[in-house]
Amino acid sequence: MDPQIERLLGNPVSFLADSGPDEDIAISSRIRLARNLAGRPFPSAASDEALCEVCGLVSDAASASGALGCPECFAFEPETLTPLEREILFERRLASRDFLARNGGTRLLVSNDESCSIMINEEDQLRIQALRPGFQLEAVWEEIDKLDDELGSRLDYAFDERLGFLTSCPTNVGTGMRASVMLHLPGLVLSGRIGPTIQGVNKLNLAVRGIFGEGTDNRGNLFQVSNQSTLGESEMQILERLSNVIGQLIAYEKNAREQLIAQDQFSILDHVGRSYGLLRHAYKLSSEEALNSLSGVRIGVDLGMFNSIDIKKVNELFIAINPAHLQLSAGRELSAAERNVCRAALCREKLKQA
Amino acid sequence: MLCDVCKKNEATIHIKEVHNGKVVASNLCGECAREKEAKGEFGTLGFNLAEVLFNLGKLSASMGQADSQQEETRGEELPACPVCGWTVGKVRESGGRLGCPECYRTFEPMISEALGRFQRGTIHLGKRPKSAGQGCASTLRFELERRRRELEELIRREEYEEAAVCRDRINQLKKELEKCDHPAPPAAEPEKETGDGSAD
Ligand SMILES: [Zn+2]
Ligand SMILES: [Zn+2]
Repeated sequence: MDPQIERLLGNPVSFLADSGPDEDIAISSRIRLARNLAGRPFPSAASDEALCEVCGLVSDAASASGALGCPECFAFEPETLTPLEREILFERRLASRDFLARNGGTRLLVSNDESCSIMINEEDQLRIQALRPGFQLEAVWEEIDKLDDELGSRLDYAFDERLGFLTSCPTNVGTGMRASVMLHLPGLVLSGRIGPTIQGVNKLNLAVRGIFGEGTDNRGNLFQVSNQSTLGESEMQILERLSNVIGQLIAYEKNAREQLIAQDQFSILDHVGRSYGLLRHAYKLSSEEALNSLSGVRIGVDLGMFNSIDIKKVNELFIAINPAHLQLSAGRELSAAERNVCRAALCREKLKQA
Repeated sequence: MLCDVCKKNEATIHIKEVHNGKVVASNLCGECAREKEAKGEFGTLGFNLAEVLFNLGKLSASMGQADSQQEETRGEELPACPVCGWTVGKVRESGGRLGCPECYRTFEPMISEALGRFQRGTIHLGKRPKSAGQGCASTLRFELERRRRELEELIRREEYEEAAVCRDRINQLKKELEKCDHPAPPAAEPEKETGDGSAD
């Protein structure tokens, strides 16, 4: 196994293992900034040499400024990793699939605690990311703003007075900022109110999508809410607008849970109990079953039904049950059927310790 | 023409696709297109972000006809980017990506129309890179935007005295911005800040 990947796997996933504000409903807050260097082609139009040069310039700037703790940070060259190892980076939300699928000319820098990373030569030359547990966009902004300044004082960013930071796709131009919060919304899903809620949020020019699966699939009842527009408002205005909506969604979710309990508490108790039973006693678990059951147990933890289960253990399982993590901890490639067996064993083990 | 999805708004985005030799047309309003994009539905429908963004028609290679003659799309007459050589065809192939910072100038007409549909505004009000120094225009625009919001709020709260002060400041900012955008004719200093430090 790649030694850096091995070190990574020994890390607790900080955005899931640490506590953050509103962590019962908001799992994590993330901001990413798209940046490019002046006078250089964007990655999709760049030659291999040009890509390589940008990798060097950005890595040097990070090392010189000590951004991300570089040079003592993780530095991955995705093309030297096995497909499984690349998938680990995706499952830990450190890199996008598109980025990992590129054929060379890319580099991924990651801080030692995995809270910050830079994808070099994704769609843009720099995709800077900062991630924290719970609902704390402002703290994430402070962190990434500083990181961006450190890099920006050593790199000549492509910037236009009118259009702001110039990005490969005009959907990111301006601030180049995409901020998102991952929310666990089982109350809205169970009460059937998630559809209208998503439509309402979409009307406000914000995007909502399921975390796992494609399109409207919402396994695990996890949703990501993010800004769509990047131009015409300052970063703070965008974050304020997003935060207001997130605050409302958290209130709606709390309200939905209270109503569900008031109307029919045995349905909720049953849902939580069955979820727990499945994780605790099943010998085969598909990814979908596991995600939905973890969501159920999480409600139980939030409602104070289990005083012995640590919410962080449940959170970490959301990552650990993913295919690449299962296979690397098993030390070999596994078929889908084998993965189901391993997944069930992992859940039984983790929840037993709890 | 009304939007195919909501059947309420005017359709501003027209997409043509070729499926098994048949042309299928879709007409969407900006809001519905955005929603589809957010849900990732364009991928499954065979749409491509470039066509939605820039209103470009799509021609399937399976038609076996010369692209350049068949395509009746706006932007077709735009030249290739002098810096990176990117063309409208490349923008389409790459799913709406541009080739380099200069492409923003090369494909300006196409881009400004797209920005109007996808972005909440057309002027950057956010942070400036450290390397760009403190250009006057951006700082002023930023305050202007903030004051405009403040004014709306003050009027809503019926605090008219405060509102009057705020309005004076807005007028002053507008004048200063005018000076920034159109620097006074060359008088004393030749190295006057132009306020348009475009990246190149
Ligand atoms: Zn519509
Ligand atoms: Zn170009």
